[in-house]
Amino acid sequence: MFHKSSQGKYWIFASEDDVEQKRCKANQNFRNKMLEGGKPGVSESKLLERHEEEVLIRHYEKRMVDFCNAFKPVMPKSVVGTAIMYFRRFYLNNSIMEYHPRIIMLTCAYLSCKVDEFNVSSTQFVGNLLQETPAGQERVLEQILEFELLLIQQLNFHLVVHNPYRPMEGLLIDLKTRYPTLENPESLRKSADDFLTQAAMTDAGLLFPPSQIALTAILNSASRAGLSMESYLNECLRLKDDKETLSKMYDSMRRMKTLLKKYELPKPEEVNASKKKLERIHAEFSSSSNKRKRGYEEDGHVAKEPRLTEDEEWTDEDLI
Amino acid sequence: MDQYSILGRIGEGAHGIVFKAKHIETGETVALKKVSLRRLEDGIPNQALREIKALQEVEDNQHVVKLKEVFPHGTGFVLVFDFMLSDLSEVIRNSQRPLTPAQVKGYMMMLLRGVAYLHHNDIMHRDLKPANLLISSSGHLKIADFGLARLFSEQEERLYSHQVATRWYRAPELLYGARKYDEGVDLWAVGCIFGELLNSSPLFPGENDIEQLCCVLRVLGTPTEDSWPGIVELPDYNKITFKENPAIPLEQIVPDSSPQAVDLLYNFLVYPSNQRCSARQALLHPFFFSSPLPAHHSELPIPQRGGRPPCQRLQAPPTDFSVDLPLQCSVVDPTLLQGHAFCL
Repeated sequence: MFHKSSQGKYWIFASEDDVEQKRCKANQNFRNKMLEGGKPGVSESKLLERHEEEVLIRHYEKRMVDFCNAFKPVMPKSVVGTAIMYFRRFYLNNSIMEYHPRIIMLTCAYLSCKVDEFNVSSTQFVGNLLQETPAGQERVLEQILEFELLLIQQLNFHLVVHNPYRPMEGLLIDLKTRYPTLENPESLRKSADDFLTQAAMTDAGLLFPPSQIALTAILNSASRAGLSMESYLNECLRLKDDKETLSKMYDSMRRMKTLLKKYELPKPEEVNASKKKLERIHAEFSSSSNKRKRGYEEDGHVAKEPRLTEDEEWTDEDLI
Repeated sequence: MDQYSILGRIGEGAHGIVFKAKHIETGETVALKKVSLRRLEDGIPNQALREIKALQEVEDNQHVVKLKEVFPHGTGFVLVFDFMLSDLSEVIRNSQRPLTPAQVKGYMMMLLRGVAYLHHNDIMHRDLKPANLLISSSGHLKIADFGLARLFSEQEERLYSHQVATRWYRAPELLYGARKYDEGVDLWAVGCIFGELLNSSPLFPGENDIEQLCCVLRVLGTPTEDSWPGIVELPDYNKITFKENPAIPLEQIVPDSSPQAVDLLYNFLVYPSNQRCSARQALLHPFFFSSPLPAHHSELPIPQRGGRPPCQRLQAPPTDFSVDLPLQCSVVDPTLLQGHAFCL
């Protein structure tokens, strides 16, 4: 039911430029806020440029995926896919200078487990942070829970993510039943899987419906194996006489492949340089309320602060 | 939050209080369900997430309650629903005489339409019961409380929890601890609700899980590998054995019901889940096409919340007719009907 979903309605964007513009705007908004805020020591050069943000987003996204892949019990692919999508949606409208990706990535993974009914307890979840002590894990958990509400708000409460994994299974079944020309559809799986894994780390999911990503993965895998699938598109998917759809689809596929080709992990020295800047921004410039939410890695000494008690709770008396 | 003014308290859910409120701009009455996140070990409760998930992804349906909005508030967030006057359990409890066959048909038709819609959208509700079937001021029935709802898929091999559904409406496979089940659990519940509408009392009112199974077995007979293929593989099958007893004909369980009603009930209350009649199929059952026809929603009782006597509004307004007046004053001027009725 993708076409009626919140993803189809609100989270598929027209072009790569659209997506980039949103991120630039988020970056600019935060810069303006800092520069206008008049905090001592704030200057243009200390803040992150958009491309520096991108370096760190990719770095932390990779870390999140590594965390998910090492997770015990084994995390289903769709849970990982949903977590990545949450992360990308969150930083479309927010700057990493405002919300540290280190904690947002874990919050995304945590929420994704719950939404996708991969039921692990909160202690079990942070228990997977192997480098942390039990006390450290508890601190992280507290931060995750603190950011959870912010995250679902920034996702506009749109929680269901359609991943391309199920459409791919569907296509494989379709190939097996309706396209006997292809002798062994299962042979396409490995390379198609790899395609989907790579596509998840790009903006493909913000630009194309999951079924198209899956189809591209299959066709890409076939063409690498030297198999032609033209008659499948023409006959089985009935695109023979629909030149317009066909050419649009080829165009989408080209764009997807470009995205994948362009993807590369940032170099360690780039990461380190940007990270230094980011840590300074969070340490020096973030408002006091954010200090409480600061990262856990390098800030092991941050004391556990009591939960806020001043904000009002709903009671019958003050409402009726 | 400033867009709403609170009118009163409706009740308490698992994760907070439900309020009646008015949307200031439109004057619409709504129900606000507040989800508080304080002191929750695991953060946002799964039930709230499920509710948002299920209701946000389906389009409007007349027989499914509508999630109008979600917004953050204080330490949690608020779900905004259509305000509903009552629910089916109050209708059953408070109606002074048993529901008429036409009224039962009316409710069943709305229930089945809602369930058919959910299942078509790959959602199993998992907690259907009269208290979760809300009644609007116009007499419409809407399915609510998606705290246990799950999006289902036939492919995935993931296990589900069997601790779902309120006991009286829990399907036998769940009582035997099944971890893999399907939308059939909703259809079993539909059968239980149907029986309850016919009898004005619950069909299988077990006081605990064991007794629940007893209640079901007493009516449907002790299941065997023949009547229920695969039963021996259910997790709790070997944990408990019951004395063998034959099934009681459902005619005796719902004694005052029409043969069609009994036949439809047989279609839901069967052991193997895959033999239960789908909601879509059930809507085509002769039950709904035989006299008396299903009651229109305006002919259904609407009890007030809190158990006050139901307001009957079944009578049409009295017509002003008097033998002393000229006839023209008592009948409708036919010219007014022109363009509205074909026969004129």
